[in-house]
This record gives sequence, C-alpha cells and structure tokens, in this order.
Amino acid sequence: MSADFLPGLPPAFSHATLFGALVVVGLLAGEAARRYASLPRITGYAVAGAILGPQGFGLLTDNMLFDLRLLIDLSVGLIVFELGFRLDLKWLRLNRWLLATAVAESLFCFWSIFGALVYFDFRPVLAAMAAAIGTATSPAVVMLVANDLRAEGQITERMLLCTAVNTVFAYVLLTLLLPFLHFEHAATWEQALFHPLYVLWGSILAGTLACMLMLRLAAWLGKREELQFVLLVAMVVVTVGIAHALKLSVTLTLISLGILARNLDRDHALLPVHFGYGAQLFFVILFVLVGASLEFSAFNAVAATVVAAYIVVRFLGKGLALLLFGPLSGIRPGGAGLLAVALVPLSGSAVVMVRDTTSLYPAFGKELAAVVLSAVVVLELIGPLATQFALRRAGEARPNG
Amino acid sequence: MDELAFTPSAPLSLGVEIELQLVRPHDMDLSRDAADLLARLSKRKLPGAVKPEITESMIELNSSVHANSAALLEELEVMRQAMVREAAVLNVRVCGGGSHPFHDWADRRIFPNERFRYVVERYGYLAKQFTVFGQHIHVGSPGGDEAIYLIHMLTRYVPHFIALSAASPFYQGEDTSFESSRLTAVSAFPLAGHMPFVSGWAEFLEYFSTMKRFGIVASMKDFYWDIRPKPEYGTVEIRVCDTPLTTRRAALLAAYAQALAAHHLTERRRQPSRTVYLVNSYNRFEACRFGVRGDIVEPYAGAKKKIGDDILETIALVAPHASRLGTSELLEELAAGVRVGESDAGWLRRRQAARGSLAHVVRDACARWEQGS
Repeated sequence: MSADFLPGLPPAFSHATLFGALVVVGLLAGEAARRYASLPRITGYAVAGAILGPQGFGLLTDNMLFDLRLLIDLSVGLIVFELGFRLDLKWLRLNRWLLATAVAESLFCFWSIFGALVYFDFRPVLAAMAAAIGTATSPAVVMLVANDLRAEGQITERMLLCTAVNTVFAYVLLTLLLPFLHFEHAATWEQALFHPLYVLWGSILAGTLACMLMLRLAAWLGKREELQFVLLVAMVVVTVGIAHALKLSVTLTLISLGILARNLDRDHALLPVHFGYGAQLFFVILFVLVGASLEFSAFNAVAATVVAAYIVVRFLGKGLALLLFGPLSGIRPGGAGLLAVALVPLSGSAVVMVRDTTSLYPAFGKELAAVVLSAVVVLELIGPLATQFALRRAGEARPNG
Repeated sequence: MDELAFTPSAPLSLGVEIELQLVRPHDMDLSRDAADLLARLSKRKLPGAVKPEITESMIELNSSVHANSAALLEELEVMRQAMVREAAVLNVRVCGGGSHPFHDWADRRIFPNERFRYVVERYGYLAKQFTVFGQHIHVGSPGGDEAIYLIHMLTRYVPHFIALSAASPFYQGEDTSFESSRLTAVSAFPLAGHMPFVSGWAEFLEYFSTMKRFGIVASMKDFYWDIRPKPEYGTVEIRVCDTPLTTRRAALLAAYAQALAAHHLTERRRQPSRTVYLVNSYNRFEACRFGVRGDIVEPYAGAKKKIGDDILETIALVAPHASRLGTSELLEELAAGVRVGESDAGWLRRRQAARGSLAHVVRDACARWEQGS
C-alpha cells in the first residue's frame, strides 16, 4: 500500500510554524520573567531567543535568522512608526527648552562616547559610528516597557520624545558618516557622495509619499477606527517592504512616515491609533530574534573596560544634558535623573546596523561589532530593567501594571 | 460645633469653583498631569487658587470673592490664560464640559492625598466614575438663617442651572441622549440629593449633629447635595452646573445665581415650601434629559411649562436686581441664548456630527476653552 498521504520524515515545516512557535515560546518566557523574577517581559523574550539561538542550543540557526530578517524590519517599522506618530512638533515649538534638552541629550551623548573611544585609541571614523549607534535609545524597548506598565505622564512622554529625537539623530548621523567609511576603503568619490544622499533623501521622500497617500486614503475611508487601523498597519507593512527593496533605511523611512502623519494631518483625517494586542505579536518575535542575534562571543573578545566605558560614558552624557536642560523645560524636580535612567536601553537594531556595515566592508564591521555588540548584550539585559525602574519610580506606571 | 459656626459674609458676594479636564494631545483622552501642572502653577502669582480634584485628570480653579460677575470673569480669564500657558509646557490641553466624552473610568488614577484616598476607600468605583466636571457657584449670605432660606428658594431653580450649563451629552464613548449626563454620576452617592426641610440654622445644626452622632457624616464635605450651605465661607453653594465650555458662560451662570439670590433675599416674597421638594426630582430629570426644552412643574402655581420659558420669565423678574448689580448685559446674553435654544451640549453634538469622531470633539472643545471667552 502506498502511503503518499503521509509526510516525509522529518516533516518540512514552513516559516509560519517557526514564527508561531517562537511567539509562543517568547510569550511564555516573558510571562515567566515577570511572574517569577519581577523582570520586564522583554527580558524574558530576549533570554528565550538567546537560549534558542545559534550561540545557545542552536535551534535557531544563523540562516533562519537571516530568513526572518524581514520580520525584524516589520516589527521595527511598526514601532518607529508609532513612536514618530507620538512626536508632537507643536510641543517642541511651544517649549523651546524641551527642544534644547532633546538635542543636547543627543549631542552630549554622542560626543562623550566619541571622546571615550578616541581616548581608547579607536580610529575617529570607527569611534564616530559607534558613538552614533550609542546615541539612539531603543524605540522598541521604551515603547514596550511603557505599554506593559501602562505608564502615563510627563517622564513617559519625554522619554518617548527624546527617543524619537535621538533615533533620528543617530540614523541621520550614521548615514552622513558613510562617505568617510567609503573613503577609508578607497571607494570612488561618486559612491562616497551619492550613497548617503540616496539613503537620507530617499528615506525621507519615501516616508513623505507614503504619508500623503495614507492621509488621502484615511480621509476617504472616514472616521472608522477599525478601517483606519487596517489601513495604517497595511501602509506600514508596504512601506517597510518598499524601503527594504530600495535599500533605504527602514527606520528613517518609517519614523518619517510617523512624524509626518501626525504633523501634516491638518484636517485631522487620522484617528488616534493604538496598535494594542496586534502589535504585541510583533514585539514578542522582535525581541526573541534580537535575543537570538546577541553576540556573546563578541563580549569576550574585547577588553571589558572599553565596553564598560562605552556604557558609563553614554549614560553620563545623557544624564548631564538632561540635568542641565531638563529643569528649564519644565520637568519636575528629580525627573531629569529618572529620565536619563529611562533612556538607557540601547537599540537592538544596532545589531542590524552592524550587520549592514559588515556586509559592506567585512573587516570594518568586525571592529565596530566588537564594541557595539558587547554593549548591546549588556544593555539588552539591563536596559528594560532601567526603564521599568525609572517609570515606576516616577509614579507613572499603573499600580498593578 | 465651631466648624459649623456660620461666618457671615458680604451678602451677594460671588465666587466660583470650576473643575477642568486635562487632556493629552496624542489621542485626546484624559491625561494624568494634574500634579505637574499644579506644581508649575504654584510658582506663579495668580489671583484665586488652583487645586487638585479626585482624579489626576482634573484640576480645579477657585476664584476669589467678587462683587459681581464682570469682575469674576476678568479674574477667571487671567487664571485661564496662566493655566493654558503652563499646560502647553507640559503638552497638556485643557477643556471645559461636564464629562470627557470617551475616557474609560477604570483608567483613572486617584490624586494622592488623604481626603481622596478616603473617598476611594469608602465609595469604591464611584470615586473613579466621579471624574466629571462641574462648576460650583458660591453666593454670600449675611447669616445661617438667611442661607437656609436662600437654599429653599434656589432649589426651585435647580433645573434652570442644569439646563443652562448642560455640557455632558457624551459619556463612555456614547451619546447619552441627555443634555447633562454628569449628574447621574453624582446621584449614585448615598448622601446626594437635597438638604432636608429645615426651618433655620439652629434646626440645621441639630440635623447635622444627629447625622454625626450616627456616624453617617464627619463633615459638611460628606453631603453631595445639589445646593448646600458652606458655613466657613458664609455662602450658599450651587453644585449642579456642568463646567461650561467657556469662562464667559461660567460668568453668565454666576451672574444669574447672584441676581436670583438678590431677588429672594431682598424681596422675601415667598415662604419655603415642601412642594418644591415634591416636584424636584421630576424637574431635575427633565432638565438633565432635555435641557431648556424640558418641562418644569412650577411648584407654587402648580403649572407645567417649558424650562426655557420659565428661565426667560425669571430673568425678567430679577432684571431690576441685575441692573443694580451691574450685570444686566450678562443676563440679557444668557436670555438670548435660551431664546434660540443654544447650549454647550448642543454645540458638542454639532461638532460630533461635523467631525465624525469624539476625539475631534474634545480637540475642538480644548481649542474653544484655550481661545478664551
């Protein structure tokens, strides 16, 4: 009797299976972290990823991670869109000291890291790129921790605002540093000149066009929450796909889309959006994959002092700027320090950025990776905790959240 | 009973308390920035006072004492401007209206002070549902007996104040079909309602000490009555108004209360009547549900008429006193609104029809408050 109806062994599982399984595992790990260790759920997702990943039990291989890269982009896209959508430029216009605070926070942080790395004899280009990456707070971590705690209030709002500003700052700066990288590797001047221009303006243009289209469509659909929700998610997904295909920066494109959608919507065609439970799915998978991508081996390779200096100086840079300018921007006494702590998480997509650079110039990427990825390993673990601590201490978390 | 000694105050002096909504711009839901905003306002030299209210999404403006409503309005404008300016620094918006159209009461957080903690402990979810916004009007009285008399007289006009101030048509994301849905949240409290039918201050004190001995109340604050005496200020406090959408309307309502009080305290044409309390809950419901288009049973004559017509007749009746107080124009403005059937509740409903979403209604209401009268 032929048994063609039976699957061959081992059965061929699709990516859907993998995706679903990772979400379930991450979800359980996150809940366990919260329930048994009072840790943020994110920490649980990331630990689950690290255990399953290439450097853990290897159930998730490097190839799988590469195949799931689009999922990371999608998740990051949704998150930075929502972050941009929260950024109220009117607030910055009405409160100039707040603008000064946010800009100073980025600048101080960048220069402190840059100075420290140069002091440790890293080449300026390398130091500048590592510093730019370090300037960004992780949008995903702060958004997720804030959601998880149902945090509301001035510290939470300013944390999200500073994160949006330092994310834009970091990505623009990284893009502008590309020519130096090209020159170091003796690329042609056309390449050095046009690559950053293409990425920067291409991303902004793509975000703008998507925004204009989205506003038109939203106006046509009308004030129907359920329809607008689907529209927004679909527009984000398609824009991520386009940015990906055109080799633009997903983060810059999507944060532009978010910021413009909030600030260009003069007729208020868009309703306020809460991605809610739907987004949770993407959050879980993002952090499981980030956890799996953590390079624990990198951590051993570099002198721990450099990594420690990177982390400490980064915090001090942010803290100093916030303490100097924060009070002028109307933050309550003691709030500036908490805000600095809340901004500690380092962007997990630094991993992705480093990957991109590695693919461009393998040797250079390795050098950069050693410092940044080690810092990511450390901050991926303490970052969510820091944010959670700060928001709770500020009294902005829900009592039972 | 010293706490209940009635401090005489200048007859017909006027003051208001106005509870306002704090709104976060990104989704127009209630925010919880009362403490930060209060801290900023405490650093400014302001007339009157600014105070916390039961949940962190509310803030209360207290005017100082005024001779008439025009002076009151001037002060309210100064306070409003300061508040709007400080709120902008925190990215918070401010608006009037008796209820937030779509907030979820369970999301509210209690402002951390002793009194409010006690209220939550005692009343449970009613405390969070009490995130509604009202205007209280204080009218000065020369003594306790006069205050009791004035309360009996003013009770007949409770439906007027409800209809004139109505600004809470939406609640929990729905159109309630009411002009003022806010008072339903107040009615749920066990000590809501009206003052008992006492003849003077001495009898009132007797009633109060009995209630205190029974352990039912600890202070006057425990009564959530529509109109109550406020002995330490020496005033009668009308508490049924929704917070209007503008300071100007708040001043119009105060002017009306003052003129009514002037009429009754000087002319003393009527004696307190139990019939007023007999028809009270019917009249009150009509006002909440239909506003000026509702029916009112006139307790002294026993006739039924439209609340709007009754208000216009009353304004004409008290006009001589308004003119003496220098508020004729304000009352004429109030009457003009009644004639065309205009109300804040109606304005909110029209915004909803034009905009298609309650978030936008809140945005428009904020703009209206922030713009000034």
